Amino acid sequence: MTGEHPTDPLLEVHGLAVRLGGRDIVTDADLVLRRGELVAVVGPNGAGKSTIVRAAAGLTRPAAGTVLWGGRDVRSVGPRRLARLRAFVPQRPQVPQGVSVEEAVAIGRSSHIGPLSRPGAADRLAVTEALERAAAAGLRDRQLTTLSGGELQRVQLAVGLAQGAPALIADEPTSALDLGATATMARLLRSLADDGLGVILVVHDLALASAIADEVVVVEAGRTVATGPPSAVLTADRLARTWRVDAALATDATGRTALHVGWLGGPPGASSPDGTGDDPDGAGDDPTGEHPAGTAPPAGVTGAPSSGVPVAPDPPPGAPGAIHPPTTEGPPAP
Amino acid sequence: MTLRQVAVLGTSAVVLVIAALASVALGSTTIPVRDVLHALPLVGDGRVDGPTDQIINSLRIPRTVTAILVGAALGVAGALLQGALANPLASPDVVGVTAGSGFGAMIILLAFPGSVTLVPLSALVFGLVATALVFAVAWAGRGGGSIARLILAGIAVSAVFTAGTTALMTAFPDRVSTAIFFIAGYLSYDGWETLRGVWPYFAFGLVAAALLIRPLDRLALGDDVAQSLGVRPRVVRLLAAGIAALLAAASAALAGLLGFLGLVVPHAVRLAGGTASHRFVVPTSAVAGAALLLVADTVARRVAAPLDLPVGPFMVVLGVPLFLWLLRKAV
Repeated sequence: MTGEHPTDPLLEVHGLAVRLGGRDIVTDADLVLRRGELVAVVGPNGAGKSTIVRAAAGLTRPAAGTVLWGGRDVRSVGPRRLARLRAFVPQRPQVPQGVSVEEAVAIGRSSHIGPLSRPGAADRLAVTEALERAAAAGLRDRQLTTLSGGELQRVQLAVGLAQGAPALIADEPTSALDLGATATMARLLRSLADDGLGVILVVHDLALASAIADEVVVVEAGRTVATGPPSAVLTADRLARTWRVDAALATDATGRTALHVGWLGGPPGASSPDGTGDDPDGAGDDPTGEHPAGTAPPAGVTGAPSSGVPVAPDPPPGAPGAIHPPTTEGPPAP
Repeated sequence: MTLRQVAVLGTSAVVLVIAALASVALGSTTIPVRDVLHALPLVGDGRVDGPTDQIINSLRIPRTVTAILVGAALGVAGALLQGALANPLASPDVVGVTAGSGFGAMIILLAFPGSVTLVPLSALVFGLVATALVFAVAWAGRGGGSIARLILAGIAVSAVFTAGTTALMTAFPDRVSTAIFFIAGYLSYDGWETLRGVWPYFAFGLVAAALLIRPLDRLALGDDVAQSLGVRPRVVRLLAAGIAALLAAASAALAGLLGFLGLVVPHAVRLAGGTASHRFVVPTSAVAGAALLLVADTVARRVAAPLDLPVGPFMVVLGVPLFLWLLRKAV
């Protein structure tokens, strides 16, 4: 199988381009995944995050570039073999009637079972293990239609784990979950990576991404524009350029993460990166997008800078902290 | 399989066996079940008089076997289509096969009544032609193979063949009465002749359906999960719909338009068994479909004996109350 050496990448994506419906959705994306590593793919809505990971998983055909699984081009890997290399956990699972949790997870195991053979003891064990690893063992006999959003997402994860692949690709598994369920999912995904799985996670919650990811990939307008450790990539400058918000990530002494956001369009750089300078008055005048030295991208961040997207301008003079929408294109994406 | 599912399958099988014996025993003359058992091919010892043996083996058993084949094929066809299209309203009508087969039979019955022996062949061929047209439209071009495209193409192609049937009926109004049996769905004492020509289609279709069970189960959690598992959803859908069309067209060749069975039986089986797993639904739909058609046919030829009425309406009369009862219990 793959990964003769533990450090060999499971997945390498280079120069990926994807066209869907005659439109260029992804133009130039790079992505590398290794065992035991959790990679968070982040970016604004419509940037192409899902399309990149779908193409990486072999669900969507690339228009250009290479997708290598264990060093082999995804197009030359047969579908059954690919099923042993990676599992894909979709964003919106289909919830059929009359299917129990156990049956659903058994479906995840089906790529290991020949067309005419029956599931054996090893397959049943794999189903039980997947349920346990996804903290879904207690749901075993429930019908899918009776599950809550968080439970359903854990079952969906178990379906992927039952596939027994060394890589797991999850497309926004937390997007519809409440705080507690999101935290459960975050711990689960992190523990899977700690157990040696390669995990790719598409996620909107940047505080969550910075807490659990080894590496963050920022996608903007169909391109991967930055890759690196969360603290190096998710800088206030990056948040201003890519999401067009005035925001900064902060981690406190106990490891809690937070995203401090100037929701009402305060000037970029008004909040200091350590999260202490909570300054909604917008005192900092910075229409050019230049920032205090502390918020500049640290060295070690790879990828091209974004193509000069304008940052939110100052509030009008005389209205410091007043409620007003940002005057650039569209409101800041939460 | 759970106990409940075993019970549903077992009950269907018992009803099927009893109905099969009744279907051979009952008719214009009633034959004691003891004689029926003596006269059965393979298992019987042949200790019955010649005329009785003749009635059983040349007239009644072919009809019973036809009912079992057609009922099983339509049950399986419905289960395949509902599974492949993830649509509870799917039935052989959806992929155009019913309208095509109806048109094929009408051409012969109305325009060329002298060649009435060609009805099964024509129904089979036109049923498959209609399905091929639906697939060609549904799978062509960008975004082909989506469920919505397939269903809409089926409705459009069906409309064309239905219009053709209406045109034939308008052109030959005096012969329409001869076509009523085909439209209503019928079984007859035609002997083994037609069966001999059509059984390979049933055999192929039923074996292929068995092989599609697991791929169909993998579609249950959506196309993304299926693809993750190494299944090509569009290919599975195409194969399942194609096999269902073959089974439905072969059924129409033998027994006219009984498509309703394909809609209702898989639903009833799912509701009764409490699962949508194809490993249960496909085989159980086969047994339950055969049982329903056989019971309905036995009633159809007894209720106004010696008049032999078309089975279709009786199947609806028997099947719908049972279905509605299950539906009420389920919700």
